[in-house]
This record gives sequence, structure tokens and C-alpha cells, in this order.
Amino acid sequence: MTYNEFKEKLFSIAKEKGFEAQIDLSESSEFSLRYANDDIDQYTDASKFSVSIKILKDGKIGRVYTEQLENPEKLFEEALKNWELTDSEDEEFFYDGTGKYIEMDLYNGSFEKTSVSEKIEFVKKLYNSAKCDDRIVMVPYAMYNNFKVSKKISNTLGLDVSTTADGGYSYAMAVSKDESTHSGLWMEVGTKFSDLDPEKIGKTACQNALSLLGAKSVKSGKYRVIIKNTAFEDMLSLLISMISAENVQKNMSPLKGKQNQKIASTILNIKDVPYYKNSISNRPFDDEGVPTKETPIIENGILKSFLYDLKTAKKDNTEPTGNSLGGSIRPINLLVESGEYDFENLLKKLDDGIVIIGVDGMHSGANPISGNFSLGARGFRVINGEISHPIEQITISGNFLQLFEKVEAVGNDSKIFYGIITPSILISELDIAGE
Amino acid sequence: MLNQSLIKDIIGTVLKYGGDFAEVFVENKYENRIELTDGKIQKANTNNISGVGIRGFLGKKAIYAYTNVFEKENLLSVAKRVGEALSEVKINDLTLDFDNKKLKNRHVIYLYPRDVEKTEKVKVMKKAYESAKNYSQLIKQVQVWFWEYDQEVLIANSEGVWAEDRRVKARLMINAIAEHNGNMERGFYGPGTSMGFELFDRIDVEEAAKRAARIAARMVDAEPAPAGKMPVIISNEFGGVIFHEAVGHALEATSVAKGASVFAGKLGQKVAAECVSAVDDATIPNAWGSANVDDEGTPTRRNLLIDKGVLVGYLIDKLGGRRMGMESTGSARRQDYTFAPTSRMSNTFILPGDYHPEEIIAATEYGLYAKEMGGGSVNPSTGEFNFAVNEAYLIEKGKITKPVKGATLIGKGYEIIQKIDMVGNDVGRGQGVCGSISGAVPADVGQPTIRVSEIIVGGRNK
Repeated sequence: MTYNEFKEKLFSIAKEKGFEAQIDLSESSEFSLRYANDDIDQYTDASKFSVSIKILKDGKIGRVYTEQLENPEKLFEEALKNWELTDSEDEEFFYDGTGKYIEMDLYNGSFEKTSVSEKIEFVKKLYNSAKCDDRIVMVPYAMYNNFKVSKKISNTLGLDVSTTADGGYSYAMAVSKDESTHSGLWMEVGTKFSDLDPEKIGKTACQNALSLLGAKSVKSGKYRVIIKNTAFEDMLSLLISMISAENVQKNMSPLKGKQNQKIASTILNIKDVPYYKNSISNRPFDDEGVPTKETPIIENGILKSFLYDLKTAKKDNTEPTGNSLGGSIRPINLLVESGEYDFENLLKKLDDGIVIIGVDGMHSGANPISGNFSLGARGFRVINGEISHPIEQITISGNFLQLFEKVEAVGNDSKIFYGIITPSILISELDIAGE
Repeated sequence: MLNQSLIKDIIGTVLKYGGDFAEVFVENKYENRIELTDGKIQKANTNNISGVGIRGFLGKKAIYAYTNVFEKENLLSVAKRVGEALSEVKINDLTLDFDNKKLKNRHVIYLYPRDVEKTEKVKVMKKAYESAKNYSQLIKQVQVWFWEYDQEVLIANSEGVWAEDRRVKARLMINAIAEHNGNMERGFYGPGTSMGFELFDRIDVEEAAKRAARIAARMVDAEPAPAGKMPVIISNEFGGVIFHEAVGHALEATSVAKGASVFAGKLGQKVAAECVSAVDDATIPNAWGSANVDDEGTPTRRNLLIDKGVLVGYLIDKLGGRRMGMESTGSARRQDYTFAPTSRMSNTFILPGDYHPEEIIAATEYGLYAKEMGGGSVNPSTGEFNFAVNEAYLIEKGKITKPVKGATLIGKGYEIIQKIDMVGNDVGRGQGVCGSISGAVPADVGQPTIRVSEIIVGGRNK
């Protein structure tokens, strides 16, 4: 069955039974290479398509997902059973597609045009660059990945939007050794093949591993701390959950009731942007087909807005922000605005403290409901504004919102990660556990 | 599922264009996920997942491809791409004789979840909701998820393997949120098995919900955990996540074969305290991480990993086995056809020791009692692990005194297993979903109550 036949059949069954229907087709392909032990360790060349179906009546939605374009009758029945089960009092909607979509060209095509042999050369170079020094005992992986995704969302209200995007990313890990082993990681994203520089990525991973040689723990206590962009990126996933209007409405966010209140240091500005140059997560519309737009989240320390899908926006009597993604409400590009300090000046301002370059355990050691976190960490001791020695086997702990209040300076070293863009920040006080 | 002649054609095509081994993995999975919040069903999703994974080896090189377009022409063209990417060796005369013997199903299912009305599932969920909600006035929100799937797989390869397996799993997950004096805390419990709907005759749904509520209610007013090095007693069942993260991942061929594990080359050596023995066992009937065959078609088995402190085994898949010069231990797993399989844990646990849990607590002057663990993660190449404690208490003078929250335990796996100094006799297993390079797979972790003489606790400083 072709996609159009499938869609028409489904829509007509739905109409017959008095339902609206929406269908979301996603076709994706990926190519990845992992290099290890001086050879290709894994090579993946793959594609798939999937169809998400929603039916709507009386403000309730029934869902079904399939990877085969067959049997629309049976799929409708399955969606109907799910519709019958749902008894939420929150009213659901479809979008009719009449809003204004930001034009963005998200497909470059350079990854597809690049030959496999060039990509193999790329990972070889990446791997060898990550072995930049004799003290590197191992490069567990050097990874290259590119993807292409086409999305098409249509419904019986007239919505009919589509987009195609491609992108790539690459990362490597290097391990150095003295009395124990230390790992260094680096990752970059690109909108075209030439954005990714294997030598730079490999070398940075290598230098990060070398920089931890001789690392030891520190005495437990409260320290002034710089959270580098590489670590803050990870920690921001706590904020993502807190600004979802769904979590706020369901009483699962500590930000509930704090709109228009000061929740952070006045120098902190955070927003969600649908397009950011060189980001690989830009989107003109969300998974409900709603146009994406720029949404201020924290302005000069004041909580301005949460992120909304259709249902939660109606409930709060506001406009949807176009943030329904992958079944939950998420930012497109969560952007922490750059400050005035370059990293050297940030170190000087820190004077005596610790730089955290990476954290472990966000998925377990951080609690999005209370905002409390306790995470494994590594970095450097800073004395008199200069890096003195590396640190590992410590934890940082605190409350994410209290941390926001203690932001003393923001760096100008913004880095693009997948869906997050952030500089490093300086925190006046943080709990560290070690020896 | 695909017929035998097409599978032969796919395998033949991979080998014709290159490679010395070819494998086909076909999957059909039917899955239901239902979410309840605020006492109401918010979402009910049904997922039909189906696709084909084609893999080829040449020596130690592996190529993987997947597709969900089942047409013969497409499958053969994907197979050709895999073969061409391997390229160098060509085997032209392939005679394939599949070993078609039926495996005995060790995981008997009485009520296939898809045959049970969804409204019955919702009844169970609402019962859990009521139980958690009524546990205490502090409980302000409860979320309940029901998750079930029925996965049929067919695995065939150029060595004549032909294996079919059907994996049925069901799990109930409860998240309770307590609020008091402006503080919010959550508690989680999520029992699951390789069973059908009869799971709910075997577990007490109300007790399971109370367990989640208890954690939230006890922790909401708890003081922050102390920071620094101290003895830690880790309770049984999900406490086994410490072994899973700190040691288990580093015993997987995925990292051992590359030399990227601290345990590489240490077979036969003493790596843990003598009181520590551990196994990985995917054969336990109806356990959450069990299967009749692994995702390469190798029958699963019980693998002894550590015997009285001595390292005696790794977890090995075919590719890892080639790289290590060892046999597969039936440990290849993958989330679905979009992932190439790799060595993974199934049901992993520390074997029982001599002490009653009360004796271990009584023998501890000062420390942390980790009653319910959260998740964790590890870097196998450095052994650095971390994991969260969801419910903890202080131990003072051999007695459990007050609740404390927000503790994270960190350390290096190879150091921690040498510091286990007391092992209890109360082995229990808990359920989790383990994420790694071949995706998210159901896994049991387990252990008796154990004591680690010294570990860094990440808490707050006074």
C-alpha cells in the first residue's frame, strides 16, 4: 500500500466513525562508523520509516504506531481501543496548519554526497588524532554518524506540513594512564561534512584525557565553582523537565507558581530558539504540526514562560509554543545566552575554587521534581586564578534552582550540543564531596 | 516473518559480495504503554515494530544494516551493500543447512498480554494509584505506567543457526511524589517479569505501590545525606545495581575485547574480596532479563563470573568472541532490529553469603544504609561508576537512626569489589532497563545485603 492510499483510507474510516485523524510519517536513515583497535569496529548503514496515528473525538486522543503501511482498518480499531481507555479531563486538540511557519533550509546534502571511503578516512584520522601522545593507552572509540530525517504531518483539519533535515556528529574518547586511568571525551555537531574536523575532535579528546593525569580527590567542603559548558550542558536536562507545562500542571515541577518571579541571578538569560546557525536540531514545526517560535524562559533572572503543546496551552489559556517533541514537551534549541567573560577571565574571577569539566549520573543522581542533584564529577583545582591540578573522584551536589541564584558570571565560550547551546558559568558556592 | 528460501538468499548475497559470516535478524514486536497521572489515563499507546537486521563479519570487522521494507528486492540490495562493505573475501559455494530443532520454552506464559482486555490493565493501574495515593497525606501526585510487549524474533546465520523465540514481558511502574513544607521528593518502584498478565496474580499491586509511596514520604523531610568516605550497607534486590554498574559492564566483551576494560586479561586472578561470587543467568524461568536464546540465536546459559573473588568468566557475543578467541556465552542482546547485537547482562546478581542483614547493620559503628537504589552508570575503561540512593538512612552505633536524602555513591568498580567485607543471606532481584550501545534492554540486578567498608558518598557538607 502506498503512503497516500494508506492515509486516505485511514482518514475515511475515521470520518465515517465521527473522528478526526492525524498521521505523522517519519523516514530516517543513518550511517555510522566506529573505529577502535586500529580498525573499523562497527559500521551501520540503515534506514527505516514509521507512522504515528492519532484519532480525536470529544477532546480525547487514541494512538497507534506502526512500521508497516498495511491494515489501516485494524490500526484504527487499535487506536479506538486506546481512545476508549483514556479518561483524562485535559482536552486534546489537533492543529489546522493555518499559522505562520518560519522558513528554514535544514537539508544540505553534503553527508550523502561524501563517499564511504572519505568517511572511513575521517574516523581513521579521528582515531589517530585521539592518540596524540604516548601517555594515551587506549582510544575505546572514535565515532562518526550522519543522519537524514524526513517528516510529514497531515490531518483531517487540513494540516499538511513536511520538512527534511540532515546533520552529523562525531566524538572520540581517549584514555590516559598513571596509577589509574582517566578518560577524555570530545564531541562536535555539524550541518555539513566539512563542519566536522576529525583532527580537532580527536586532539581535544586526547588533551582532555592528558589533562587529568595525576588527578586526585579533594577535601569535602563548599567551593567556588566554574561549571564548564561541557558539564553544564548535561545538567541543563533538569531544567528541560522543569519548564514543561505538562510537568508544571501535574504538580511535578518545582517551578510551579513561580512565573514572573525571580528564580535566578539577574545575569542569567535562557530561551528556546527554533533555529540556531549550525545546530542540528532546528525545527520549523513540532510533532503536532504547530509552528515553532522563540520563547523566553528566563530573562534577567525572572521566569518568563514555560513550554507548551496544544493541550497544556489551552489549559493555561495561552498560545502553544511549538514544543511537542517525541511524546513530551521539550525545547528545540535551549539557549543559555553568552556573557562577557572569556574562559581566562572566568578563571581569574573564580580565583580560588574548582572547574567542573564533566559530570556523571544525570539520569539517576538528579531529581527533576525536587531539583536536587548529586553527581560524580571531574575537573581542576584553581588557585589564584590559575589551574593548579586535576581532580577526580568527587561529587557535586545541591539544588538546581539554588545553583541558578548563585550564578556570578557567564562565559562567552558558547558551544552547540544536540539541542542545547550553552557557555560556561561561575557559581559562588557549591557542595563538593571527596576525601 | 521471512521464509527460509529468502533468508538463504540474503545470507548468500552477503557472502557472495564479501565476508565470512552473515546473519539475519527478523523482529515483530507488539507493545502497549499506558500512562496514568492524577488518577486518570492520560495516554495509551500501541506500537507495532517490525524490521530486519542484516549483519556480516569479515575476520574481526562487522557491518550492520537494518530496514523495515520487507520486499525481497530491497532486502537483497541491503544484503549486497553489507557484503560490498566487507568486500575482501568471497565465498561462492554456499550450502546452508539450518539446524531447525525447536528449543524448549523455559518461560511459560499463561495469559498473553495482547489477549487481555486493556480495561483489565487499567483496573490494575487504578488499584496501584489508589494504594499509593492513600498511603500518606504527604503523597500529592502518583503516576503509574503499564508496559507490556510481545516480541517474536527469528535469527538465522551462515553457520546454520535457525532460532525462533518469543519474549513476553510485563511491567508495572509506580512513581509517587510527596510534598511537605515546600519540598518535593519522589519514590519509585517498578516490578517486571517475562510473564504475561498473570504477573498481577504473583505480585501484590497494592504493596508495590506502597513501596513507592513510602520512599517519597520518608525522604521528603529527610536531611541531606552526609558527604565523604564512609562504610555503606547496600540492601538486597535492586541494590545489585552496584555490581551491575561497577563490575558487570566491565565484564562485557564489548569492552574486554578491545582491552578497554580494567578486567581485560585478568581471568583466573583474584579481583574481588573472597566473600564475593556473582553470576549472570538468562535461564531463570520468567525472570525480567531472561530469554531462551540470545539475539544471535545462541542458547542462553548460566554464566559464573566471579567465584570466591576470582574472575572466572566474561559475557561474550560472537563478534567479541572472534576478537577474544573465545566462545559466545549466549550474551548477545539488542533493544530491537535497529541495533547490532553486543554482549550485555541479563539477570546479574551476587550470590548469598553468611550473614543475616541485621547482623551486618549491628556490626557497623557509623555509616549509610542504602535501602533503595536508583540507577547508575559507569565508564568501563576507567571503572568510574556512580549511582543514586533513593532511600537512605544513617547508621549510628549499629542501629538505623534517621532518614537522609540525596546520596550518590561514586568510586572505581575494581576497588569497590575488593572492599565488600560482609555479604548477607537474603538474595533478591530487582528490575531495571539497562542502556548501552545496543539500546535499552530489560535486566535484573540482584544481591543479598552487602557492606562496602569504604565508599565516597556525595551528599552535603555541614
